[in-house]
Amino acid sequence: MKTDNYTDLYKLNKAHVVRVFDLTDKEKLFVFRFDDKDLASTWTYKPGQFVQIAVPGVGESTISITSSATRKGFFELCIRKVGRVTSVIHKLRPGDVVGIRGPYGNGFPMEAMEGKDLLLIASGLGMAPLRGVFLYALDNRWLYGRIALINTARYSSELLFREELDAMLDMTTAENLLIMQTVTREPEYPGLKGRATEYIDQTGVDPKNCAVIVCGPPRMYMDVFRKVLQLGFSPDHLYMTLERRMKCGVGKCGHCVAGTATNMVYMCKDGPVFTYYDIMSTPGLI
Amino acid sequence: MRYTKLRKENFHEFLRVLERYGKVYAPHRISEKFYDFREMRDPNDVVTEYPRTVMPPKKFFFEPLSELFKVGLRDFSYSTPEEDIQPFVIFGVHAYDIKGLMILDSVYMEPGLEEKQYAVRRQKALIVGISDMPDQYNFSNVRNADWVDEGFDLFLHPIEEGWLIRVGSPTGHKIIDDNSQLFHGTTLKDIDDFKEHEKRRQLSFPMCMSLSDVRYVLEVNWNNPIWEEEAKRCLGCGNCTMTCPTCRCYEVWDEPDVELSSASRFRRWDSCQFHDHGLVAGGENFREHKVDRFRHRYNCKNSYVKALHCDFCVGCGRCTAFCPAGISYMGIITHLMEAKVHED
Ligand SMILES: Cc1cc2nc3c(=O)[nH]c(=O)nc-3n(C[C@H](O)[C@H](O)[C@H](O)COP(=O)(O)OP(=O)(O)OC[C@H]3O[C@@H](n4cnc5c(N)ncnc54)[C@H](O)[C@@H]3O)c2cc1C
Ligand code: SF4
Ligand code: SF4
Ligand code: FES
Repeated sequence: MKTDNYTDLYKLNKAHVVRVFDLTDKEKLFVFRFDDKDLASTWTYKPGQFVQIAVPGVGESTISITSSATRKGFFELCIRKVGRVTSVIHKLRPGDVVGIRGPYGNGFPMEAMEGKDLLLIASGLGMAPLRGVFLYALDNRWLYGRIALINTARYSSELLFREELDAMLDMTTAENLLIMQTVTREPEYPGLKGRATEYIDQTGVDPKNCAVIVCGPPRMYMDVFRKVLQLGFSPDHLYMTLERRMKCGVGKCGHCVAGTATNMVYMCKDGPVFTYYDIMSTPGLI
Repeated sequence: MRYTKLRKENFHEFLRVLERYGKVYAPHRISEKFYDFREMRDPNDVVTEYPRTVMPPKKFFFEPLSELFKVGLRDFSYSTPEEDIQPFVIFGVHAYDIKGLMILDSVYMEPGLEEKQYAVRRQKALIVGISDMPDQYNFSNVRNADWVDEGFDLFLHPIEEGWLIRVGSPTGHKIIDDNSQLFHGTTLKDIDDFKEHEKRRQLSFPMCMSLSDVRYVLEVNWNNPIWEEEAKRCLGCGNCTMTCPTCRCYEVWDEPDVELSSASRFRRWDSCQFHDHGLVAGGENFREHKVDRFRHRYNCKNSYVKALHCDFCVGCGRCTAFCPAGISYMGIITHLMEAKVHED
């Protein structure tokens, strides 16, 4: 009997840290490259997909890929220090190695959004997966209409990729982009203040032909969806990402299962990207 | 389907013959009330009539504790445990448990996402089914899991002269052909015996109802007070999930060896009834309260296996039979079917 014709689902691929950037007090951006050169040159992924990153002996974490596969040879993860694994990852320095599996998850249907304007709304750590979408769209600029990005956080010190986004402001006119960064709890902040929903009608996207992607804490999703629907956006192209505890990423361990009997979903395999219709038909998803 | 007959007097010899195909595991009586699959040492100890084993056969394929891989901490070398899985035989599996394995296959051997440990064991196993006589907890009939046409190599049905055997796979045919001295052609009387037995068996199932709409019943009763009431009695022990033939959640953790030269990743069965199942960093929990976890199990078990067009629950009755709090799974479901969502 043949028995070795199955690939190893849990195999860790060795990758090393190329660079580390401090983004905020809690978040760092890590640039990784696979040690295997075939893997380094061919590994690809879709915006919205994630990896399992392992520190052997410590454990594994689920992290969204924050770079875009349009640039090859490396990938980036933005990691918040919250617990055991992420604390050890935060101590990694260039040259240190980790184990990576993936990419996993469905990712955003970027093809289905072609020809449309894009409205990207990120809150807090939600900017990590959204940055992948944003960079992908910029690298395929001709495929999309106007691109508007609203990045929000409680305090300006928590705005992820704030400087990187500020540095792009000089190309917004030429590239038909809009970048807004707003904070909700810092009255003395000189920039924009308030929730993302207050700025949607100023983004200049065409509600009749616009895909909306929201990443942030689940409690903001219905607010945003209610607002965009009220402004006349089509419900056909509303997307978001969701989180659950994940242990395998491949639909086996059962930790990410959510929903009701009529619609049980694996966040890792059926998600983490869901549509407005998904959340309307699956109570308990958000 | 091919039918053949095994006479009573040849039964022990048949079990001995099975040993040629691998180590034989069979139902044994392990205490006054309980049965379980154990390695066969003496065919006399093998039980052919039992209501259900404590552990379903999933434990042979998805082991309660296993090492997934090891990584060298210096050179980062990756290796999976050296495994030399020898062919083995599970004798005496009831139809609902065979269906349970087919459901596990749809997850652990999903095309393109096969898990090697599971798949290798599955390939090495020979399954010999046996007809069961339902007790008060068995509702596999309403789950369409009281009968299987596939998923076994041989399947035994009691008849007056011994056993009528259905042959379900090429390996099954080989066993019959290679040991033809043990088997006899079936007579019309044998077939009538078999039909008669099945008729009696069908009449013994305690429940006769349709569960086609159970998914909706559960969904629209999301806020029914019975969830709180029953969850209050639940001890959160996880017996119901551990003994369920289709429950398959696992937890993983890493453990360095004593010299700190390598680290292994282990996994063990987990239960959605445990508090930390949905716990994430920062203390947030997607199923914080016992009632959330309690209700989740009912929804998950009654959700749809898309690949097989059936439910995850096969109606084996273990979750009720082995619940220390005496919680009745079907009791809750039938209550919800009757319940009014609207209060006057
Ligand atoms: C699809 C998805 C994408 C994510 N993307 C990012 C990202 O881009 N950047 C980032 O910083 N974080 C992200 N997270 C959250 C990240 O997975 C957790 O913060 C991280 O696993 C915490 O690990 P820990 O060991 O440091 O924490 P501990 O509290 O020690 O956690 C112990 C274990 O619980 C599990 N766990 C804890 N929190 C979470 C969580 N929120 N989600 C899933 N599993 C968890 C992990 O298995 C972890 O190993 C994402 C989570 C998901 C599900
Ligand atoms: S076996 Fe009974 S008491 Fe134990 S977790 Fe399941 S329902 Fe609760
Ligand atoms: S839910 Fe209960 S009755 Fe259904 S298969 Fe699992 S243990 Fe058996
Ligand atoms: S993370 Fe294991 S099933 Fe989704």
